[in-house]
Amino acid sequence: MVPDRHKVLIANRGEIAMRVMRACRELDLDFVAVCTEADRESGHIRLARELAGDGAVYRIVSYLDANELFAVADAAGATAVHPGYGFFAEDFRFARRVVRRDRPMEFIGPSWWVIRDLGDKINTKRIARSLGVPTVPGSDRPVYSELEAEEIAANLFDFQAAQGIVDGVVMVKASAGGGGMGIEEVGSFEAFRSVFRRIRNYAKRNFGDEGVLIEQRIFDFNHLEVQVVAERGGKAQVHFGTRNCSIQSTGKQKRLEVAPGFAPDVIPYTFDASGVLDAITRHSLAMAKEAGYDNVGTWEWIVTPRGEPFLMEVNTRIQVENGVSAVISRVHDRPVDIVSEQIRLALGGRLGYSQDDIRFEGVGIEYRIVAENTDNRFTPCTGTITRFAWRPHDWLTVHTQVPQDRAYEIPMEYDPNLALALVWGRDLAEVRERGLRFLDELVLEGESGGRSEAFYSNVKYLRDQTGGILEF
Amino acid sequence: MLNIKELLDEVKASPYREIVVAAPHTGVVEFAGLKPGDQVHGRRGEFKEKPGTLLAHLTRERNRKPITAPEKGEVESVRTELEGQFVEAGEPLATIRHFLTRKEVIERILQEALFLFRAPERAKYYFVPEVDQKLKVSGKRSVKVSEGMELMIVSRMKRETPLAYSGPEGIIHSVYFGRGDNVDEGAPLIGVCPEDQLTVIQDVVARIQSEWEEA
Repeated sequence: MVPDRHKVLIANRGEIAMRVMRACRELDLDFVAVCTEADRESGHIRLARELAGDGAVYRIVSYLDANELFAVADAAGATAVHPGYGFFAEDFRFARRVVRRDRPMEFIGPSWWVIRDLGDKINTKRIARSLGVPTVPGSDRPVYSELEAEEIAANLFDFQAAQGIVDGVVMVKASAGGGGMGIEEVGSFEAFRSVFRRIRNYAKRNFGDEGVLIEQRIFDFNHLEVQVVAERGGKAQVHFGTRNCSIQSTGKQKRLEVAPGFAPDVIPYTFDASGVLDAITRHSLAMAKEAGYDNVGTWEWIVTPRGEPFLMEVNTRIQVENGVSAVISRVHDRPVDIVSEQIRLALGGRLGYSQDDIRFEGVGIEYRIVAENTDNRFTPCTGTITRFAWRPHDWLTVHTQVPQDRAYEIPMEYDPNLALALVWGRDLAEVRERGLRFLDELVLEGESGGRSEAFYSNVKYLRDQTGGILEF
Repeated sequence: MLNIKELLDEVKASPYREIVVAAPHTGVVEFAGLKPGDQVHGRRGEFKEKPGTLLAHLTRERNRKPITAPEKGEVESVRTELEGQFVEAGEPLATIRHFLTRKEVIERILQEALFLFRAPERAKYYFVPEVDQKLKVSGKRSVKVSEGMELMIVSRMKRETPLAYSGPEGIIHSVYFGRGDNVDEGAPLIGVCPEDQLTVIQDVVARIQSEWEEA
């Protein structure tokens, strides 16, 4: 039975929860939010109460306990579940349970079988290879056995040595992982075994599957993404352009994203950058069509200094950086919000436009403002934010769960992400200038262990990186 | 030198611990009919296989989960006004007054004699797989630690880093954290018994065994 009016359970926290709440309001949908003890001061709780009243917030033990979420959904009468960016967003078992339980609900994301088929990096590789889409050299199925893993690693080190790469490196990844989690690099065969064991244990603990993927590490690459949006049933797919996510922390966490992925009109690349952008969007849409992709998702690509693109993986969920694609996109000359599109399409809405109706305008930057020590391997910083403010501009949007009118303790249970800032400019020069202006005007103060000098953020790092964006 | 008598007197002055039994997760609560003053017991048996006194049931997703008394004691209060209602995680359901056992007193006093390896930062801690397995199979006192040994994994904000042991060589006598617990900076993780402290520790155990009477 289709309900007259949907009520969305927002099964996540922080700024994505707030964006989903606002999108629900825009789409005239009811919602209910959840929070853990550690998040009681988070802005997403305050916003939920403001928009939907005290009864719209339920205290749960963990965002990763599916039974908790279903119990709240039933108690609140929710008819749809938005998993945010979290683990459940890419867990096909969770998505399947949402739609198959006694009181089924809508899952706001791709259908469970699409998540299953594309969520596994190895299966994705197989689909890609069947369509002639280039992928990174390495294993094409999950490796569980240590002996087999060592054989693959030895072959990859030999292969790199034969190519003249003296210090070859191999990547060890949790097959079911994502978001930069469960990935380590190994620089020698001797160190491989302990890293393999560590990733296997990590994968088992966090994803319930100890399958590991072993790939060649490609150096000096750019990390590009294609934002795909598709209608339920896999009938129509469009893309919202490319973005460049090459600026990452040592832990492979993205810190600054730019859309579009290259600027061939301004920056002289040593390869045909326009051709690369065309190729990756074409390949991504072909794969989306082949897999029957039916919601929002991201195709992640590695582009080598010689301009060779390799498909890395598909993220079958909304990503943190969706906003930077939205900020340069217009549909029928109107701004677009990819979170709203995701919800609308998941609840059965028609796409209502084609690729020809989407226009790209200007350049966007997304800054992830994080409490971390960038000089010490991006070590997360716990502590209290005492001042957080910025000057408003019509080219700036800031999403944050950090309250601006009182102190906020960063919960150590989660990422120390404080805010996402989206900056738009007519061209690369203007967006750089505006980005630097925003960072200069930003006031961010805090203390850790009672000392302000022990509090760190990545604002200076972001400033340093802004000058070189989109340069290879 | 450890003043066992003084420490024992301190414990004797306040031999109780109040235990708040909270809903471990969301669900609909049904109480088992206990009232203030009733005696309850915790898990018993050689392998702790016998559950404690039933306090309530919590039903979530058609799973009826019994909530039992974690320790022996006396019921101080029960929130009967919540009967039949949906409760959120962490909602207090009952309070138990627990009289300290010999073992607990020994653990408390031994913290003064053992070398305490403390948490360098607030985080979740796990033993490395080899140590974890040994602890599960052979028990706490089967693991010998020495300076520089990779002992734990520190899990904090999506990152996991190895932690090496630093301190005198000895065997792990006590573990002060549970799986998934957030351990505060400076809180003890394990108590290590160096060989030269063995006689002191045996003395503590013997004294408490003879002097502490359990309720």
